[in-house]
Amino acid sequence: MKTGWNWLGVMPFFAFAALFLILPTMNIVIGAFQNSEGGFTLANLQGLTAPRIVDSFAISIKVSLASAILGCLIGFAMAAAVVMGGLPGWIKAPLMTFSGVASNFAGVPLAFAFIATLGRVGLVTMLLKQWFGINIYAMGFNLLSFWGLTLTYLFFQIPLMILIITPALEGLKREWREAAEVLGASTSQYWRMVALPILFPSLLGTFALLFANSFGAVATAYALTGSSLSIVPIMLFAQIRGDVLQDPHLGYAMAFGMILVTGLANLAYVIMRTRAERWMR
Amino acid sequence: MSFLTLDHLQKSFGDTKVVHDFDMRVEKGEFISFLGPSGCGKTTVLRMVAGFETPSAGRILIDGQDVTGLRPNQRQIGMVFQAYALFPNLTVADNVGFGLKVAGVPRAERGPRVAEMLDLIGLPQMGGRYPWQLSGGQQQRVALARALAPRPRVLLLDEPLSALDAKIRVSLRNQIREIQQQLGITTIFVTHDQEEALSISDRIVVMHRGVADQTGTPREIYNHPTTDFVANFVGTLNRFPAEVLDAATGRLRVGGTEIELGRPVGPGPLVLAARPEGLVLAETGIPAEVTGVEFLGSVQRLRARAAGQSIVMDRFNAPTAALPAPGETVHLCPLRSHWMVLAQPEAEIV
Amino acid sequence: MKRLWSWAALVIGALYFLLPLIGTIEFSLRMRRGAYSLDAYRSVLADPAFRATFGYSVMMALLTIVLGVVLVVPTAYWVRLRLPRLRPVIEFVTLLPLVIPAIVVVFGYIRLYNTSSILPLTGTAGGTNILLLCGYATLALPYMYRAVDTGLSTMDVRSLTEAAQSLGAGWVRIIGRLILPNVLGAVMSGAFLSFAIVIGEFTMAALLNRPAFGPYMQLLGANRAYEPAALAVIAFAVTWGCMGVMQLISRLAGVRKTAT
Repeated sequence: MKTGWNWLGVMPFFAFAALFLILPTMNIVIGAFQNSEGGFTLANLQGLTAPRIVDSFAISIKVSLASAILGCLIGFAMAAAVVMGGLPGWIKAPLMTFSGVASNFAGVPLAFAFIATLGRVGLVTMLLKQWFGINIYAMGFNLLSFWGLTLTYLFFQIPLMILIITPALEGLKREWREAAEVLGASTSQYWRMVALPILFPSLLGTFALLFANSFGAVATAYALTGSSLSIVPIMLFAQIRGDVLQDPHLGYAMAFGMILVTGLANLAYVIMRTRAERWMR
Repeated sequence: MSFLTLDHLQKSFGDTKVVHDFDMRVEKGEFISFLGPSGCGKTTVLRMVAGFETPSAGRILIDGQDVTGLRPNQRQIGMVFQAYALFPNLTVADNVGFGLKVAGVPRAERGPRVAEMLDLIGLPQMGGRYPWQLSGGQQQRVALARALAPRPRVLLLDEPLSALDAKIRVSLRNQIREIQQQLGITTIFVTHDQEEALSISDRIVVMHRGVADQTGTPREIYNHPTTDFVANFVGTLNRFPAEVLDAATGRLRVGGTEIELGRPVGPGPLVLAARPEGLVLAETGIPAEVTGVEFLGSVQRLRARAAGQSIVMDRFNAPTAALPAPGETVHLCPLRSHWMVLAQPEAEIV
Repeated sequence: MKRLWSWAALVIGALYFLLPLIGTIEFSLRMRRGAYSLDAYRSVLADPAFRATFGYSVMMALLTIVLGVVLVVPTAYWVRLRLPRLRPVIEFVTLLPLVIPAIVVVFGYIRLYNTSSILPLTGTAGGTNILLLCGYATLALPYMYRAVDTGLSTMDVRSLTEAAQSLGAGWVRIIGRLILPNVLGAVMSGAFLSFAIVIGEFTMAALLNRPAFGPYMQLLGANRAYEPAALAVIAFAVTWGCMGVMQLISRLAGVRKTAT
C-alpha cells in the first residue's frame, strides 16, 4: 500500500518519458524490422548496406569522430592553459561564460556565422585573399565539406569540453603533483601515470557526449549545406520530409542505425568507464 | 661535516619576508622537528628543502652536494604530506612502487622492495587495495612507505599527523620514530603540536615569524627556553612578575613574598616562570587562592590565582593526600631547579 | 615557457571563436553597397514572418519551461524523499535525450501520433503544438533535471518536509511553497538553458511543420544573403542574454545562500 503510494509520485514522469521518449523510439526500432504489411523482416537492415547509405554513415561517423577528438584535445588544452598554465586568474570567469554561450550557439545561426566568415565571400576568406593572396577555395577548401563541417561543429564542441573538463582539472590535487615530483617523476610521467588516469572517466564521458552531440545534429549541417553533403541525419531528414528513398521502412532502418551508433558509442563508454573507475567508490 | 645543511636560507613572497636567515646543520640519521604556529615559516623551509620553493637567498646541501638549483625530482627526497596525497587511481602496492617505477627499476626488483616496505609499516596484506579502502591512519602509513621505498637521502614530514584522530596520532608517531631509527634516515618533521615535537625529536627548532628562535633537544627547549616566545609556546608556563632586590644573589620579591634563587640575575624587572610541575604546595611561599581542581588520573591539576596571575600546578596523584578545595588559600613553594628567569616583555612593564 | 604555451593555446582559441562572430557582424552590416549600415537588421525586424515565428518560439520556450518544471521538480523531490533507489533509473532516463538524436524521436512522434493512430495529435494544429511542446520538454529534460537535482542536493529535503508536515501542510503546498522557492535559483538556470535551446530549435519544428523561429531562419538563409547574418547576430545575442541572466541568478542565489 505504502510503496504503491510512493510509486504514484513518479508516475507522471514515467508516463511522460514513455509517451514522448521511449515509445516513439521503440516504434522506430520496431519499424526497422517490419515490412509494409507489418510482418517481420531483415530486408530494411539489408537496405542499409546500399553504398549511398553506407557512405552517409561513414562520413557522419568521420565528422563526429573528428569533431569530438579535436573538440576534446583543443578544449582540454584551453582548459589546462587556464587552470594550470600560469595565466592570470581573471581569465577563467569570462572563458566559462563564453563557453556556456558558445556551447549552446548551435543550429541554424551557427551555420550563418560560418558562411559569413568562411563562405565564398566570408570575412576571413576575403581577408586571406586580399592580405596574403591566399585563395582557400582555390586550394580545395570548401565549407560544405567534411573539414568545413568539422570546423563548424568545433564551435560548440570545444566550449562543451571546456565546461565539463575545467572542474575536473581543478579537482586534481596539488599534492598529487608534488608527491609524484618528489618521488622522482617527470612532468610527463606524472600526467601519464597519475593525472590522465584520474581524468580518464571524465574525458571518456565528454568524448561520448561530443560524439552523440555532432552525430545527431541536423540544423547546422542542413542550413550550411542544404542537402549537398549527405550525412545520415540530413538524409533521414529529407526522407521524413519527402520519402527520397522511395521506401519508408528504409527510413526506420536509418533511424535505427543512428540509435545503434550512438548507443554503441555510449555502451563502449560505459564499459570503459567501469574499467577505468575500478579505483573509485 | 653535517649531512643536511641549510645555509642562511631566506624566502620572500613579493614584499613579505616569510623566512629570515634560517641557518641549520642536521647530522646524518637525526630526527629534527620544526615547531611553530601556523605562518611561522616552517612549512616554507620544508618546501625549500623539497624543491617546491626556490630560496630567495642561501643554499641547501645534502651530503655535501649543493641541491639549491635542482628540481624536486632530482633531489632523492622522500616526503609525506598532511592530506596523505596517495594517488587514488593506483593500488597500495603501485603507490609504494611509484618512485621505483619512475626511476626505471624493473618489475622483478620492485616487487620485493614493495613487500618489504608494506611489512615495515605493518600492512603486508593491503597491497591490492585502493587508497579509499583504507583508514586515514593506514593511508598515511602507505604514504610513508611510498616516500621511503626509493631509499631517499632525506625524509620530510609535513604535518603528517594533523588529519588523524588523537589516538591514531600517538600510535603513528611512535611508529614513525621507530621506522626512522631502524632505517637511520635523516628526517625533518614539521608540526605545530609541541607534544608531538617533544616526544619524537632528537632536536627541535622552534620557529617564530620566519626566524629559528631556539634550537635544542626537547629537554633543553622545555626546561631552558631562551626566548619568551619559546617559553610560552612549548608547554604551559606560570608567570610571576618579580622585583629584583639583590641581583647578585638572585633575591626577588614576588607578590609580597621574598624568594632567593641562589644565582645571579639581570637587573629587573623580571618575570619568574615555572612549569606546572615546578610548583609544590608548602607551609610558606607565594599565597594563592585555589579556583579549581581537576583530577586527570595520574596527575592532579590545580588552578589558582597568585600575584594577580592565573596559575596551573600539576602534581602526581597520591591516593591518601587530600585535595585542596576551591576557595581555599594555599602556599606555592618554588622548586629551585625548575624556576626560569625571563626578561619582562616590554608590554608588561607598567 | 609553460606560460607561453598557455597564452598560445588561449589566443588561438580566442581567434577561432571571435573570428566567426566578427565575420558575422561585419557581414550583417554589408547590405548597403559601399557602406556599413543596419539595413539587414531593419529588413529582418520589419518582416512580419520574423515577428510571428519569433513570438511563436518564445511562447513555446516559456511553455516548455513550465512543463519542464511541473514534470521535473516534483519528481526529483519525490525520488529524493521516498524512492532514493530509483535515482539511477531516473537519471538514466533523463540522459537518454542526449543519446537518442532528436530527429529519431520526432520521427517516432510522426509515426506514433499520426492521423490514423489512437492519439492523432498531428491531425490538428493544436495537437501538433502540444506534440512539439512535449518534444521540447524532452530535449530540455537532461538540463532541467540536472539543475533541479543539484539544487535539491543543497538542502535537507527530508527534514524540511517533516517540519512542514508537522505544521499540517499538504503535498501541493509543500512542493509549491517550500521546495520550489528553495530550488528557484536552480530552476531558473535550467529554465534559461531550456530557453536558449528551444528558441532556435530547427529539427523538430521543421519536421512537425510548425511556424517556429528555427525553420524561419533556415528558410531565410536559403533565400537571402545578408539577413541571415543579422539573424545569427540576434540569435547569438539572445543566447548570450540567457546565459548572462542565468549566471547572474546563480550568483545572486549563491550570495543569498552565503549571507544566511
